[in-house]
Parts: sequence; C-alpha cells; structure tokens
Amino acid sequence: MTRKPSAGSLAEASGRDALVAEFVESWRGLEGDAWIVRGGRDEVRRTIVEAARIMVEDGGPATSCRVLAWSTADLASLDLPGLLAQQGWEHVPWPTGARAGEAAAGTNGAAAAGDVPGAEEVTRTQAELVTLAAASDLGITTCAWAVAETGTIALYATPATGRLPSLLPTAHLALVRPSQVVRTVPDGLRLLAEYMAREGDPPSAVNLVSGPSRSADIEGDLAVGVHGPRRAGVIIGEW
Amino acid sequence: MPGELPPAGATWSERRRRALADPAMRAAVAKSTRSLAAKKEAAFAAYPAGETMRTRAVIARRSSLARVDALLDELTRRVEARGGHVSRAAGPADVGRYVLDVARRRGVGRVVKSKSMATEEIGLNEQLETAGLHVRETDLGEYIIQLAGERPAHILVPASHKTRQQVRALFDEEAARCAVDPPTGDATPELTVFARRQLREDFLAADMGISGGNFLVAETGTLVLITNEGNGRMTTSLPRVHIAVVGIDKIVATWADLADLLQQPALSGTGQRLSTYTTFITGPRREGELDGPEEFHLVLLDNGRHELLGTEFVDILACIRCGACLNVCPVFRTIGGQAYGSMYSGPIGVVLTPLLGGLERAPELPKSACALCYACADACPMEIDLPRHILALRRTEVERGMEPWSDRLTFELWGRFWANPAGFRFTGRIARLGQRVYVRDGRLKGAPGLVGGWTATRNAPPLARESFHEWWARRRAPRTGS
Repeated sequence: MTRKPSAGSLAEASGRDALVAEFVESWRGLEGDAWIVRGGRDEVRRTIVEAARIMVEDGGPATSCRVLAWSTADLASLDLPGLLAQQGWEHVPWPTGARAGEAAAGTNGAAAAGDVPGAEEVTRTQAELVTLAAASDLGITTCAWAVAETGTIALYATPATGRLPSLLPTAHLALVRPSQVVRTVPDGLRLLAEYMAREGDPPSAVNLVSGPSRSADIEGDLAVGVHGPRRAGVIIGEW
Repeated sequence: MPGELPPAGATWSERRRRALADPAMRAAVAKSTRSLAAKKEAAFAAYPAGETMRTRAVIARRSSLARVDALLDELTRRVEARGGHVSRAAGPADVGRYVLDVARRRGVGRVVKSKSMATEEIGLNEQLETAGLHVRETDLGEYIIQLAGERPAHILVPASHKTRQQVRALFDEEAARCAVDPPTGDATPELTVFARRQLREDFLAADMGISGGNFLVAETGTLVLITNEGNGRMTTSLPRVHIAVVGIDKIVATWADLADLLQQPALSGTGQRLSTYTTFITGPRREGELDGPEEFHLVLLDNGRHELLGTEFVDILACIRCGACLNVCPVFRTIGGQAYGSMYSGPIGVVLTPLLGGLERAPELPKSACALCYACADACPMEIDLPRHILALRRTEVERGMEPWSDRLTFELWGRFWANPAGFRFTGRIARLGQRVYVRDGRLKGAPGLVGGWTATRNAPPLARESFHEWWARRRAPRTGS
C-alpha cells in the first residue's frame, strides 16, 4: 500500500520549488547561467554537456575542451570521465596525478625524483596544478549549500574539494541539489556552524560565490570576468 | 601611541586648486558617487531583511569594540592552533619588517596584492619595493592607480576619477614596457581582457599574496575577505605564502555577529546583496590539501586605533569601509578623493586621517572639507556620527591654537562687532562703502579676502543702499516728530 504524501511534505516540496526558482532568478540576475533539471541523472549529464558548450564556446561545437572536475563520491554516479570521453573532451580529475596523490597522502616525491628535497617537490606539484587549472576550459564542482535570496553557492576547501577548479578555468559549473538551497545567507552560515560543530573546525577556506567575477572600476561600467571565471553556471537537479 | 600615515604630498590649497581645475575628474566623480548612492538606496528599499541585519550589526560592532583586547587574544590563539602565525604591529615599520622577514625566509621575489586600505595606510608597497620586491596590485582599479603612480581616489572604486581614454593610455604604456600587445580599444571588455591577461601572469608567478581583511571572527580565528573581481581569492589561493594585514578594529566575536555584518559592505557600498566573492580563511592549507598557501600570517595593525578605544571617537572604529559617506558628501562630489591628501577621503577620511595620523598632519580636513550637512550621518550603515566627530576635531584645533592668526583675528573681530546692534550696523555701513569698487551691473563681482572666493563662482547681490533698520527709522521719524 502506498501512502499519499502528507500535506506537510507537499508544502515542503512547493516551498523547495519556490526557493529553487528564487535562487535561479537571483543567479541569473548576477549574469550567471542556470539550468533547472527535473529528469534525474541522465538529464543532468546531458545538461552538463549543453552547459559546457554554451559557457566555453558560446554554444559552438567545443571540439576540444579540458574539464577539471572534483572527483568526489557524490559525483561518481554521473560518470564524468565516460561522459566527457563521448564528447572527445579531456577530463582531469581533482585531486589529480600520481604526484598529487603523494602530496595528498602527506608524503613527497623525493624518492622518485632523486635528490630534490621533499618540500620543493610538493611546491612544484602545486605550480603544475596551477598551470593545469589555468589552462582548463571548465571547472566542475558541487557545492555545500546555496542561497536563494542572494544567488550564492558555498564551496568548502577540503583535500577532495580543492579551490582551483572553481577559480582558474575559463568557466565554472556547479551542480546543486534542490535540497541544498536555503533562503538566506544566515541560514547557510548555520549549516556551516553545524559543519564546524561536527568537524571541530571550519574548512581552511570557504568561498561564497555569487555569479561570475565582476568589476565596475572603469567608468562604473560593469565588466564580467576580470580575474575569476568569465562565466559561472549552476545546474539544479537530482542525480 | 598615535599612528603614522604617509604625507599628504601637496598643500591643501594646491590639492584643492588642482581638483577644481579638472572638469573630467569632477564629472567622473559626480557620476560614480550619484550612481552608487542611488544603488544603495534601491538595494535597501527592495530588501527589508538587509535593514534588520544592519541594525543588529551596529550593535555587534560596538559590543566587539568594547572588548577588543580579549577578542584579539582569542583570535590569536585560534589562528595559531590552526597553524597560522599572528603578529601585532604598532605602525608601518613593524608591518614592513615582518613582511620582509617572511619574504627573505621564503625566498620571495614577486608579490601580488588584493585591495587593502590597511596596506595603503602604511605605505607597504613602497616599503617592499624599496627592499627590491616586485609588487603588483591586482584589483582592476588599484592596478590602474598603480600604473598611474597615484593614490586611490575612492575607498571602493579607486580609479573612478579616470576616464576610459586615460585607462587605455596607461595600459598602452604598460604594454610597451612589457613588450606585449596593447588593448585593442577603449571599450570596457577590451580593457578588461588586457588587464586579465597581464594580471594572470602576475598571479601565476607570485610567491606571496598580501591581502587585507574585511572582518576577523575571534571564535574560530577566521579571516573574512570580500571582493567582486575574484582577485582576493587568487591572492589567497595561489601563492605559497599568504599574509593578511588587518586593522584591529575589524574583529567581531562570533559567527552570529558576522552573519548580520556580512552583507552590509555590499548593500551600502555597491547596492549588491552580497559581494561576488566572500572568502572565509582559517589558517593555511591543511594536511592532504593540494592547493592554498603553505603559510598563513595575520598581521594585526594598530597604527593609532587602540588609542581611540574609550574616547569619544571610538565608534569610528565600527567603520566597514563601504564608502557610503563619500557617495553622499557634497564636498567629496565636488573635489574628488585625491584632494584629501589621504587614502581615507570623504567624511570618514576627514575624521580618520587626523585621528590616525595626528591632527597636525591634516588640520585642513575637519576645518575645510565639511559643510556640516549631515548627509554622511544619514548614510552611514554603522550609524557613526561623523559630523559630531568633525565638530569635536574643529574644537580641538581651536583649543590647541592651531588656526592661523588671521582666522583668529577675523572671528574675534566678527564676534565682537556682531555681539551688539550698534556694532552690527557699523559693519553694514563699512561694507556698503567698501563694496562700491566691486559692484558692477548691480551685482557684487570680486571682493577682498575670503569674500573674494565666495563671489568668484557666485553672483551675489550687493548690500542694499539702506538697511531695514535705517528705512524703519526714517519712516517713523516724521510721526514721532509730529
């Protein structure tokens, strides 16, 4: 016997839709790109390709595209490597590479690299990572929460969820689940407080991102993409 | 101990003259300030929650300032517990020494900076450049100002006094210096593309990033950095070493306090609900992280702030550097930021410059750069009573006998004559005689001394041939006689 959803959860669902709609409106108001996906995993995957085409190539063919993507367990079910390979695009997972793995494990590449001191080896790895990220067309991440009222996504820096993929590529695409959207910035900060209570610490860096990089420094004229990603997109859906 | 600010450069009369003789700058400033002020009004009107948070934030700032020492101790413990380093700096030289020590130890040659009023205040760039470091300002406006060899003209939009043609000329020169392609035109996207390309190289090559900080959260030892361009994120994520130089006034006790404050700089500064990038930094990168700085240093700058605690001026430390007071100030709108001879311009600069740098450094600001219109008091989101502070500074100047003898004599005589009707009438008769040489076509044109400045840009009517009192006396005379 199936139970009808209670009035409470219906109200909750429609409240959720309203929050998602408000978030998308705010995000678009900040010159950001947004897609709402209701069809689940496969549609999210299709939308990722569409979003990449639009944000990287302005809707063109995007024949070559280097995508730097967080490879968290949350994203595993989307099979980004397979999806991007179908398009003939390059997929770079984050964290990335053997050296990066060693750095992540707290060891260093000194043994393999001979007489290079460990600290310098790790530094060089960071320089390589920076170069790689700066030469990427698209960064794909998830987020910790999103704010409807301000059009904001929150990114926590952890070993698995680095800072560079949302910072250096030409465009940044974040996947957001509808349940992650809260109404206000203080609502979001309460979620961060819960994280701190659980982990005992805030992350080393938390970035609240509200649309693409902008400046009004030349005659008060709005310029998008001065330093950070030139385009910032969100896909809101379940996968 | 009082603080130290870089010298003003030119004299007040020279700075004022230069500003008034620059119509392009004045038009640009008038346009940008009016636009920002209108955006602020519209933002609050459409967002009642912003106002609710603002009123709570006012209280949060003041209660934090009331126990700043305890909070700084807590902050220091928290930052150090997370592997960061904390240093207290009394003034400019302390910061310079500390940064150069770190730079030497870590073999730093190239530094990128994100916009910071604190480092402007202590002339950090000059100190580092003298020691041979390459320093690059990365906020687009600050980059333009650095190329022009100027000082920021507005807390928030430092290059708002420059036209796009001037910006293009600066970029062309820089392109020639670096042997790279100049911008393809003076449209905003073309100028932006040039700056993005140049600054990217600086970011990728930098060994050290220096930032300021908008807030410090004591309970977790967290630095809060707000930018729109993303240069703050770059500066604090890419280089091996990150040093934040932050005034001790930026501290708040808890995340609950911060929640009310966080949107205020954007709401009052640019009319956004939240700046594009808000970054919370707690210590250096952690074990296992691949990016972020290996070292995090926090330099807590005093430079005259501590001395203000417990004085009538303490609420000036609640300032969040949003620039709202500049945007509504008739003096700022007329002369622009550079005429103030300080990185802090507008009403906040009129108060903060003498309080941090000493009244002797800028006696002209409280005295001459305020019309006491109270627009700034209405505009300030932190409810700082700027006009009251300006009056208090004026009073101090008089008490210390700082005004020139000619002013003292003028006001002394003025006060004496106008204290009774006979004296008042006497000055009227003198002025009527004296104005004869200056009246042309029934208008007062030109006059000696201070009055000359007044009539230079105004068409003042001359004093009437007869005062009301005289007219009244003449009319009544026959009746009393009959």
